[in-house]
Amino acid sequence: MASEVKLPRLGQGMESGVVTKWLKNEGDAVAKGEPLYEIDTDKVTQEVESDFAGVLLKIALPEGEAPVGQTIAFIGEPGEEVSVEAPAAPEPEKVSDTVVSDTPVAAPPAPPTTSNGRIKASPLARRLARERGIDIATLQGTGPDGRIVAKDVEGAQAKPAAPAAAPVPTGDIESVPLTNIRKTIARRLTAAWQAPVFQLTVTADMTRANELVARARELNPDVRITVTDLLAKVCAQALMRHRNVNVQYSEDALLRFPTANVGIAVAAPQGLVVPVLRSVERLSLAEVAAARGDIVGRARDSKLTTQDLEDGTFTISNLGMFGIEQFVAVLNPPQAAILAVGATVDTPVARNGTVEIRPVMTLTLTVDHRAVDGAEGADFLRTVKQFVEDPALAL
Amino acid sequence: MPELTYREAVRDGLAQAMREDDRVFIMGEDIAEMGGSMGVTQGLLDEFGAERVRNTPISEMAIVGAGIGAAMAGMRPVVEIMYEDFLTLSLEQIVNQAAKHRYMSGGQVTVPLTIRTQGGAGWSPGAQHAQQLEAWLVHIPGLKVAYPSTPEDVRGLLWTSIHDDNPVVLFEHRLLYPVKGEVPEQLEPIPFGKARIVREGTDVTVIAIGPLVHRALDAAKQAEEEGISVEIVDPRTLQPLDEETLVASVKKTNRAVVAHEAVTRMGFGAEVTAILQHQAFDYLDAPIERVGAKFAPLAFAPVMEQYVVPHAGDVLAAIKRTVGK
Repeated sequence: MASEVKLPRLGQGMESGVVTKWLKNEGDAVAKGEPLYEIDTDKVTQEVESDFAGVLLKIALPEGEAPVGQTIAFIGEPGEEVSVEAPAAPEPEKVSDTVVSDTPVAAPPAPPTTSNGRIKASPLARRLARERGIDIATLQGTGPDGRIVAKDVEGAQAKPAAPAAAPVPTGDIESVPLTNIRKTIARRLTAAWQAPVFQLTVTADMTRANELVARARELNPDVRITVTDLLAKVCAQALMRHRNVNVQYSEDALLRFPTANVGIAVAAPQGLVVPVLRSVERLSLAEVAAARGDIVGRARDSKLTTQDLEDGTFTISNLGMFGIEQFVAVLNPPQAAILAVGATVDTPVARNGTVEIRPVMTLTLTVDHRAVDGAEGADFLRTVKQFVEDPALAL
Repeated sequence: MPELTYREAVRDGLAQAMREDDRVFIMGEDIAEMGGSMGVTQGLLDEFGAERVRNTPISEMAIVGAGIGAAMAGMRPVVEIMYEDFLTLSLEQIVNQAAKHRYMSGGQVTVPLTIRTQGGAGWSPGAQHAQQLEAWLVHIPGLKVAYPSTPEDVRGLLWTSIHDDNPVVLFEHRLLYPVKGEVPEQLEPIPFGKARIVREGTDVTVIAIGPLVHRALDAAKQAEEEGISVEIVDPRTLQPLDEETLVASVKKTNRAVVAHEAVTRMGFGAEVTAILQHQAFDYLDAPIERVGAKFAPLAFAPVMEQYVVPHAGDVLAAIKRTVGK
């Protein structure tokens, strides 16, 4: 990187000097300590020795007066480009008779870059700039050799576009490369976001559903039957009564399925997967539980096959176990609807003129409006609510 | 508080240790009747007798070797190497024996030996009698190295050296012997690995050892007149080294100068610089400056000797480079 030759302060009180003669030409080799140019101060004329060794790359001030500290030449490696344009020296005599100067007297300050584009800045200055959201390339360095130092950063304002100078937690940001499954999730959910959807919400009294699940568990001690299994079953029954919801949407056609293939959203270690339970309307509750236990277990062990993930017509996403009472699920294209299941919460409910405490679950249906209209979706959800509140109706 | 010279403080520390513990004795060339070539041990023969204040032949290898043997046998010897230049003759004993026995015996043997020595330029003793060789010894695991800069520090660190179960090399400086300073009425041991903030400041930290502490103080006064606030930190012991205090100071001031009289190249300052750049990298606002002797043998001609060694002006120039003035 090129070193800047600056007009030196040769004595107390010296504010400026006049370069009268260069003892080297541009392109000449210069040794450290070798006389480089002559300078007139108000006291003396003297030779000034070079502080640097290298090649005299550029003489920025061939002759004339300059303030102390101004860059008057550059010394560096042979062939090195000098990227900083030094302001031309004002020449008082000429300024008086020439109104327009063809050289800008004060060029806009450029960041002190070296020939390879690296910006010279102290580690502290870099850290402060990072913390305050300041682009260090916009700063003008005032340190030795034009280095950007902390003072220069402190005097700068964060760019409006930059994020506000929020305190950044210390420590490095860890870069975790996207796994294929994460890429798939990102791609599919981004696609889902483009679908015009609407949401419908109902609450369901879970008293009877809970009783049924408890009874079924007693009768089927070998499988663990859950509310999710019951929901999968009643949704499948509801889908059979609302065939227009049991569809996949494509550009050319709605694919209406003869059977209800219900996907279950599973938080597997490697990311979200939605394995599919097939023909749930034909399965008993215990069979649903067994099938669900199988696919969820394989999802957690990363042993699902592509077949396990295909042909879904509807999805259930249950965050009730986290205590989430209500949420909106993102559509799982090409399916037309997804049901977001919240936690069952004991809630005061008005019944026959009195207030009773009932276990209540909130169900939110997200529907692709391209495939299903509002009234159709509402009718389907009403059926789901009826079946959940009175599972016998699903028979 | 009483005032002692650095020389008197060393003598007082030795005498107090010898009064307190019969196992402490001193050995060295001309330390008895003559009181040592620098006069440090004057009067000790009269008080403690020839049994405990022992002249030795002119053999640094024998002096240190005998000290190691006595230390392993349960004594707490303090041996004097007249000039640190002559440490070279005893390095086999210091590096391969004193520093290794505790380790190689699995802790069965300790070597509670103190090696006092002195050196330093400024009085034209020539190339073989004024070097600063502390960097040679801080490179050796198993040794502790102290380099006190004031009467209080030298007395307190000497006491700690004598009572440490490991071999310690304690460097004194020829030009510091007449320097006066207040010392506590009661001798206060100074722990190893605890730096001293000599002077507080906000713009730049000068980490200095030995005589450079005093030259840095002169430089700091001049810098203050130019509006630069200088903090000076004296590590006092080079091994163990109080990295925490050094790093904390540099994190505060964001700039550092490391100064010693030894040759700059491969010197103690190089290690300090490495520690600072690593532990305070994001706090540095300027390259760390080093001040030390030029890479040349010390000249006999006084003017040339002065040219080689660093002065307050060199410290001041380094301070100014760090603040860009």
